[in-house]
Amino acid sequence: MTVPVHLRHDETFVLNLGPQHPATHGVLRVKLTMDGEYIVKAEPVLGYIHRMHEKLAEGGTFAQFMPNTARMDYLHALAFNHGWALVVEKAAGIEVPERAEYIRVITVELNRIASHLLWWAAFLLDLGGFTPLLYAFDDREKIIDLLERVTGSRLTYCYMRFGGVYNDIDDEFIAGTRDFIKRLRGRMPRLYHDLVTHNIILIKRIKDIGFISAEQCRRYGATGPVARGSGISYDIRKNEPYSVYPEFDFDIPVFAEGDSMARYMVRMHEMEQSMRIIEQALDKLPGGPVMGKAPKVLKPGAGYYYSAVETARGSLGHRLVCNGDKNPYKLKLRSPTFSNLSLFGEVAEGMLLADALAFMGSLDLVIPEIDR
Amino acid sequence: MEMLEKTRIALAGLFPEPVPPATLEGEGGQDAPPREAGALVTDPVKHGSHLDVLCRPDQVVAVARIMDSEGYFLEAISGVDWLDKQQFEVIYDYNRLDGEHCRVMVRTSVPRDEPVVPTVTGVFPAADWHERETFDFYGIQFQDHPNLIRILLPEDADFYPLRKDYMP
Amino acid sequence: MGEENLPSSIVQFAQLDALLNLGRANSLWPMTFGLACCAIEMMCTGGSRYDISRFGAEVFRPSPRQSDVMIVAGTITKKLELAVKTLYDQMPEPKWVIAMGNCAISGGPFKVKENYNVVEGADKLFPVDVYIPGCPPRPEALLEGIMTLEEKITGKRRWPRVHPG
Repeated sequence: MTVPVHLRHDETFVLNLGPQHPATHGVLRVKLTMDGEYIVKAEPVLGYIHRMHEKLAEGGTFAQFMPNTARMDYLHALAFNHGWALVVEKAAGIEVPERAEYIRVITVELNRIASHLLWWAAFLLDLGGFTPLLYAFDDREKIIDLLERVTGSRLTYCYMRFGGVYNDIDDEFIAGTRDFIKRLRGRMPRLYHDLVTHNIILIKRIKDIGFISAEQCRRYGATGPVARGSGISYDIRKNEPYSVYPEFDFDIPVFAEGDSMARYMVRMHEMEQSMRIIEQALDKLPGGPVMGKAPKVLKPGAGYYYSAVETARGSLGHRLVCNGDKNPYKLKLRSPTFSNLSLFGEVAEGMLLADALAFMGSLDLVIPEIDR
Repeated sequence: MEMLEKTRIALAGLFPEPVPPATLEGEGGQDAPPREAGALVTDPVKHGSHLDVLCRPDQVVAVARIMDSEGYFLEAISGVDWLDKQQFEVIYDYNRLDGEHCRVMVRTSVPRDEPVVPTVTGVFPAADWHERETFDFYGIQFQDHPNLIRILLPEDADFYPLRKDYMP
Repeated sequence: MGEENLPSSIVQFAQLDALLNLGRANSLWPMTFGLACCAIEMMCTGGSRYDISRFGAEVFRPSPRQSDVMIVAGTITKKLELAVKTLYDQMPEPKWVIAMGNCAISGGPFKVKENYNVVEGADKLFPVDVYIPGCPPRPEALLEGIMTLEEKITGKRRWPRVHPG
């Protein structure tokens, strides 16, 4: 709990956190006005990795933007691929065959587990523990091997096309995925929960730290595990279903405490739910083609289109404005972390610096996604 | 669609004249008459939003207050540069975090040589950063914004990159 | 970039130099300068599968004053330019720079005509010793880059070169 303390605003100094700092979130700078160890005011400064994705979208065709989507949130790149494919398929009216939809869901959920594993590793690295990084990266390498067989890349996937995916999955991938799920389920209780989640040091560092109320989430537009850790049951896969998610039976973990521990537990439970979805998808996988019919030069009808997908960090939206040309007229990417970080300034007031870093880690930031 | 009807009725207070059966942008072709201000129901499967509201710049804060009282959250603010019409358009996207899904798109246009829109930061603090980004990319001034400085480009940049007539 | 003329010593310590270079090459301490996607591959190299600590380089120092090599992993933007130059200047001699990934080599996928914010390559700011292409390069490529840097420092390559095919 943040201790209410009388902050002497006349004896403060300004401390610069970043843009180069060991917490592996990326290039984020936070201007902290400090009173001793307590934060009086926190202002995140963005733009150190602004790579002009929206301008590049206007300069090329729809298909030429697909590689860019992976460079924004590189930890859950397949969800970004999926979001772009969805909005363009919606605008141009392209049908996707069922097998391709299932493959998309399987690969996106595998990528979600990999993203949460890396978040877990980096979060604990921030709090001072190096060992969990080695365990998490071991499991993550297994996922990367599986995805590399099918997509060809390790990190920045450009796997989806308008109308499906470009490469089919084979039996070895399916067997490997089932083995991986069994392996991770076996390792979770001991290596992840006994060692870390029930660890008294972790509990003391993140329980009751960084309280975000549900009303704050709504006013700042926070979504994803940040909102689900504050009692809001909002997940695009259930509230605004897309692809074949309605066919699967999975839960949305929601914890009402609103502190960093709640957000931590949401992500740990989400990994288990993703494994459930993958198992069901592998059982129900239909046959058929993996690529639908799409025109070589795509010219969707003029209009305003919006599409949202659930990434590991929240709801990613694409606001697309077309004018009948072969290039998008305007693409605005509604990045989940941009909205999640905007409440940092309000919540971090009055916190100890070490607690603020634990809170920042629990928000799961990926800075290139904020700066686009 | 309860929420949709409820929202449309709540917004109807701002647009007293009944909206003539207009077509969505682009669907009527080149000769379609320009749309009047008002709320138009759209197909979410095709367009992603349930309601398309066109309003004047000075009505933006009133619309935001109605959306806030109905329990929406501000998802995104985007700008669009219509070079041929010499206008900037600002698009506000509202969505719901609870129960029934309903996405509302609110659009307003300002002239390109004097783009001034009142800020909605007083209603939704989320607008703070989104409006700074729209200012950064297009140069649209948001009146009474608490801190309208650049957010993504360096503070001393003197160009607005996403304008259609900008090339470095 | 200007050239600096270091005065040559009157007394040559060839064997000692060789020993010092061997020590420096086998214990390169990188600075944590992961900017974007390549940073994740750098972290994977530090993990247990690719294990950069075999080469003595697992000690990633956050402070430039304690590090030997700056692995520029990611895109440098105009807003970050001054900070990168300051970090390079703060590193004590002898120092090396590895440009990891296409963005650090030449601006990568962002070297287009609409580019208004990306610095096209780390070598526009300071001299680079090793270039590792890829988007992002595999961890094995980063290890090969470290081995190439070791060869540059000591003059000899420790590990056999594996040729494709």
